[in-house]
Amino acid sequence: MSTTETIVAAATPTGRSALAVLRLDGPLAASIAVAALNRTTPLVARQSMTAHWHALNGAAIDQVVAVYFAGPRSFTGSDSLELTCHGNPLLIRRLLADCLARGCRAAEPGEFTRRAFLAGKLDLTQAEAVADLIHASSERALASAQRQLAGELGDHVAAWSDRLLLTLAVLEAHIDFPEEDLPPEDPTGPLACLAKIESELSGYARTARHDATLREGLRVAVVGAPNAGKSSLLNALTGSARALVSPEPGTTRDYLEAPIAGLPLALTAVDTAGLRSGGNALENAGMVRTLEQARAAHFLLLVLDRATPPPTLPPELLALLDPRRTLVILNKSDLPAHPAQANFLPALATLPCCLLDGRDAEALRTRLGEILVERELAPGAEDLVVSIRHADALLRTAEALKIAQAHLSPPAQTELASARCREALECLGEIVGRIDNERMLDKLFASFCIGK
Amino acid sequence: MRPPKEIRLGPSRPYDVIVCGAGHAGVEAALAAARMGVEVLLLSGNIDTIAQMSCNPAIGGQAKGHIVREIDALGGEMGLTADTTGIQYRLLNSSKGPAVQAPRVQCDKKAYQFRMKHLCELQPGLTIFQAVVTGLIFEAGAVVGVQTNLDLSFYGRSVVVTTGTFLRGLMHIGSNKTEGGRLGDFSSKSLSSSFLDAGIELQRLKTGTPPRILGSSIDFSKCAEQPGDPSPTLFGFYDTRQQGDLFHVEQSGERLPGWTPGSDQVSCWMTEASGVTGKIVHDNLHRSPLYGGEIKGVGPRYCPSIEDKFVKFSAKESHKLFLEPEGRNTDEWYINGLSTSLPFDVQLEMLHSIPGLEKAVMLRPAYAVEYDFAPPTQLYPTLESKKVERLFFAGQINGTSGYEEAAAQGLVAGVNAACRVNGLTPMVIGRDEAYIGVLIDDLVSKGTQEPYRMFTSRAEYRLLFNHGSAELRLKSKIADYGLVPPERLARIEAKSAQVAHWSEYLEKIAISGGLAGDVLRRSVETIPADMPASFLAETPEVQAEVLYRVRYRGYLERELRSARKFRDLESFRVPAGFDFLKAYGLRSEARQKLEAIQPQTLGQASRISGVNPADISLLMVLFRAAKTA
Repeated sequence: MSTTETIVAAATPTGRSALAVLRLDGPLAASIAVAALNRTTPLVARQSMTAHWHALNGAAIDQVVAVYFAGPRSFTGSDSLELTCHGNPLLIRRLLADCLARGCRAAEPGEFTRRAFLAGKLDLTQAEAVADLIHASSERALASAQRQLAGELGDHVAAWSDRLLLTLAVLEAHIDFPEEDLPPEDPTGPLACLAKIESELSGYARTARHDATLREGLRVAVVGAPNAGKSSLLNALTGSARALVSPEPGTTRDYLEAPIAGLPLALTAVDTAGLRSGGNALENAGMVRTLEQARAAHFLLLVLDRATPPPTLPPELLALLDPRRTLVILNKSDLPAHPAQANFLPALATLPCCLLDGRDAEALRTRLGEILVERELAPGAEDLVVSIRHADALLRTAEALKIAQAHLSPPAQTELASARCREALECLGEIVGRIDNERMLDKLFASFCIGK
Repeated sequence: MRPPKEIRLGPSRPYDVIVCGAGHAGVEAALAAARMGVEVLLLSGNIDTIAQMSCNPAIGGQAKGHIVREIDALGGEMGLTADTTGIQYRLLNSSKGPAVQAPRVQCDKKAYQFRMKHLCELQPGLTIFQAVVTGLIFEAGAVVGVQTNLDLSFYGRSVVVTTGTFLRGLMHIGSNKTEGGRLGDFSSKSLSSSFLDAGIELQRLKTGTPPRILGSSIDFSKCAEQPGDPSPTLFGFYDTRQQGDLFHVEQSGERLPGWTPGSDQVSCWMTEASGVTGKIVHDNLHRSPLYGGEIKGVGPRYCPSIEDKFVKFSAKESHKLFLEPEGRNTDEWYINGLSTSLPFDVQLEMLHSIPGLEKAVMLRPAYAVEYDFAPPTQLYPTLESKKVERLFFAGQINGTSGYEEAAAQGLVAGVNAACRVNGLTPMVIGRDEAYIGVLIDDLVSKGTQEPYRMFTSRAEYRLLFNHGSAELRLKSKIADYGLVPPERLARIEAKSAQVAHWSEYLEKIAISGGLAGDVLRRSVETIPADMPASFLAETPEVQAEVLYRVRYRGYLERELRSARKFRDLESFRVPAGFDFLKAYGLRSEARQKLEAIQPQTLGQASRISGVNPADISLLMVLFRAAKTA
């Protein structure tokens, strides 16, 4: 298979660090480097260059160290470029976005290794190892995408695709069934629909909750039964009395969030309402939000009162307690442990502590930092890539919709407008999964009585 | 010299290819195989109905018209026969861009059949015989011949099955049930068991046809006339074909040009079924086998019965009907839009409630027909069965609907059945080359839940598929398989070179107003007067294609770019003998789907539902490793 596309991804993990590395791979690598680094002389392979990276609009983004590898003497066998920049997620994001604007595509999970393998750069007996790597990184990317889609973005994209499919069905009906008894062809309706979707989508892309991960870092949700000490934990982690702490169970009815500073990666702690079976209406509403927060979080801290019998937690929460992303905080370690606690949720890692007066706060923060660094920073930077990929897909959707509208304005060229609507659907499909033409046909046949 | 046409019986004297069924698929299959130099036997239960249009008397239309032009490019006969027997010609979507314009022709049904039958009679290497195929003869997992109702067995190196609606065909008119694939014809019953014995799965589909009436009983003053186009758009590529290709059965043997296609056209007429008819439908719904649950097969959504129209779209006050003549030498008319399975008395009552048809005399009633089809995911993209070697399927047995879809598959199956005999690489047309490629890939990769009809929206690269470019798009296939005479291929090559030359050259030369390309893109309606005289001296076909490519350059280049990406995955072939069930690291859903469909390329694998991009990524690595191992 020919490597016709140039791919880009961060090679170092998400979060703040001193330095970060970006890799570009493919035929555009050299020309992008020449343009973005304002080179007047040709690139010399395997020689480092220190220069400012300029965005397409001319603005300097960061000072970078760039090394160019000419194919086939590179990791993947094709031309590639390694950029070392400062480890600020915002800078990395801008660099990635600029590479996309210059014609790169965000790399798929494991794609660099796959390219190296296909180019014969890796020992062919390593096929299973490469397959494992692709599998593992796809799983992480999928999990990351699902976290981002669990919230607003997923709902929006689903709604936009649905409306777009309906608009496309109207256009296609007039293309494929010109002799049918359809309402007269009038581009005004589709035009208005496309304009509305485009404006909502661009508005959303600008205010961008989809890159919250980048701005706010990882989200850590604190969950547990009422009065187990969740708010105390939040205060211990954030070093403030932000959450309202009271001995009255059910005090936190909605969620509160605060950044945890001073750790190697950006974290946001989210306090949630206590979860238990029963409770009044207000509490139940709070519990729905708690479950939402728990689903959207990257990591869960389950707080248990060690001195009392284990609580009855709702099954929805138990289902979310994945050992890979849950730590049990056994509060009240100053009191004797209740015997039944020993066999409660044996699969989960535990950390005993006392949240009473902040004496364990520092040890807790350090330990949490260690766990998360190990967990999140080890293999890759899927969150960043997924987030950039989503943002890029939204931008391309908006662009395609803009052109589609131009084609629908008189003199309307329906088939050209339709091509751009289909491109927009493909872009949205990159976020929510392939949107099959059958779905458009379903809408078409449901909306119009077709059939002579 | 080819061996003479003859009936050969017994296993010691096999044909190369046996085609079972002589409808639109069977005829193209037999002609294509014979033209590739192999000896073909074409069996039909009734050779008076060769290439019969069982439903509407028209060829072409949106997407279908595109397919007919592709068939013509590949040397098939559907286009020429429709052109020479056409009685009304229309270019649909003429107000839209060239990519979505499509020709359609109302044909003289009988003349169409006669010409096709005569072509088969004339074709060297093709023997026709009337017999109903009742079973297949298998040997070691391959088909080796067929049994017939006459207790005669014929042997063949490969077999193409085109049963249409005849496989356990069951017709419904109200509670009246008749076995048969078409009113007045037989049903093929025992053949189904032959397929089941071979492990081929069968399912049921349903389709229907409207009543036919006597033209002299129509009050045309209450209908609106729909005349043909004054200058007809034809299917055949007459700029590259020989003049002798245009003949008519009345000139049998001599092959002189027949009447000029498009001359002496007749009109169609429009009326509508409104509330009164709707009430009759509603009052009698309990007598409809469709609504009573009698009919189990799934019907097409795009071709609903009149019951469905009034029930599912009850807000719509009226439904348009088209009255279409079935020929020049008959007064039988087809009522397009009035397909139904309601009982005869209700059909008459409905008919008489329609403006213009108050006194209509019915010649044949409407009916629904249920039939067996073999889900096409059981086929390779060559249309050969995965279960039985050398057995090919084409047409409605693959779950499609439409003469054009059938003919296209027939042509491909015929070519590949011949390739199988000659040991040639089979012909697989890509989704980026033609609607025929989209059609077959959809069938074998995704299957179908209803009778499958082509829509232009099914093609990812629709703008590249303007009907005029069919020969240019399929040039390499035409050449590789020798599907047209060498002289025609040379003309196609020359046309392709001219089109390529002019579409580049016009971007470089100046005319008044700027570079010719820029001027053309600004004024899409007219051709500037000072275009080079040598361009204006080119054939209208070359000029039209060049203008399209220049005027739509940006849009076409965009689709070409995505088509190239598609090609990348498509050229990544699955290694021979690759075992999906044992593939390392695949999710079990993907593993099972891949095992069932047995894709031939990574591209095909990527279109199977339940296979995600990560699976494709994994497969790339595994294929590479398997190839080197």
